[in-house]
Amino acid sequence: MDWSAPHSGFVLASYALSFVVLGGLIAFTVRRDRKLKRDVAKLEHKRHDP
Amino acid sequence: MQQFANPARFLAFSNAILPWCWAITIGLLAAGLVLSLYTAPADYQQGETVRIMFVHVPAAWMALFVYTVMALASGVAFVFRHPLADAAAKAAAPIGACFCFLALATGSIWGKPMWGTWWVWDARLTSMFVLFLLYLGYMAVWQALEEPHRAAPIARIVAIAGFINIPIIKFSVDWWNSLHQPASVFRMGGPTIHSSLLWPLLIMGLAYTFLFLSLHLQAIRAEIAERKLRQARLADIGGH
Repeated sequence: MDWSAPHSGFVLASYALSFVVLGGLIAFTVRRDRKLKRDVAKLEHKRHDP
Repeated sequence: MQQFANPARFLAFSNAILPWCWAITIGLLAAGLVLSLYTAPADYQQGETVRIMFVHVPAAWMALFVYTVMALASGVAFVFRHPLADAAAKAAAPIGACFCFLALATGSIWGKPMWGTWWVWDARLTSMFVLFLLYLGYMAVWQALEEPHRAAPIARIVAIAGFINIPIIKFSVDWWNSLHQPASVFRMGGPTIHSSLLWPLLIMGLAYTFLFLSLHLQAIRAEIAERKLRQARLADIGGH
């Protein structure tokens, strides 16, 4: 990749946008799954040991 | 396949394969980025701008594929009334919407230097924009109706009816005069792209597919947990 080539800013913008959107989606999905898993574990713990 | 339709079995199965899916995704994305940004040559007409194709095209493929998965899962839920099928469709929607947004945005970024404009209302771009609206509409149904048993039938109809847009997107470049170039990978007679550009594109396509698989499994697990919590809360309210 020649970063001094014309329009290289457009290439950089595309990859940066993809990185931000997909990175955000991964972080949101994984964090949501972990949080809900913790909530279910807490609930089951409360049920077994009220 | 039928045995994994049980939520408990699905959770055990996804627990076992998720680390492998994420590992393959990271490996493929790393290889794809190296091939896309360093190994692939600049195009003789587009120059370095051709590299946008390696993030734009897989995002567009996934936007179509994820909607197809959503429509299939909704069809299964419609026929068999299986709650896991609804969960699978619901979990796929935000992932597909993100891929669709990326396809539109990166296509627009490519269009400015190549076509001289950010956007044109031609058949391919417009039908892709309609797909984005369908994703948003589908998600809005689940958000608007609080009880899942009321939201599910409407969401299924939106997903199944919206599937008509998928062949329209695919064949829009053949049916109408479009500024967008015709199919050059999945076409009768084989790909028309040189192998030096085709391989990075296919690796990135595979990376995005595994990324979807990993995200989808994770999102279905979250959906199952959310339903469990909701049922527990309702049982608590009923008990008091």
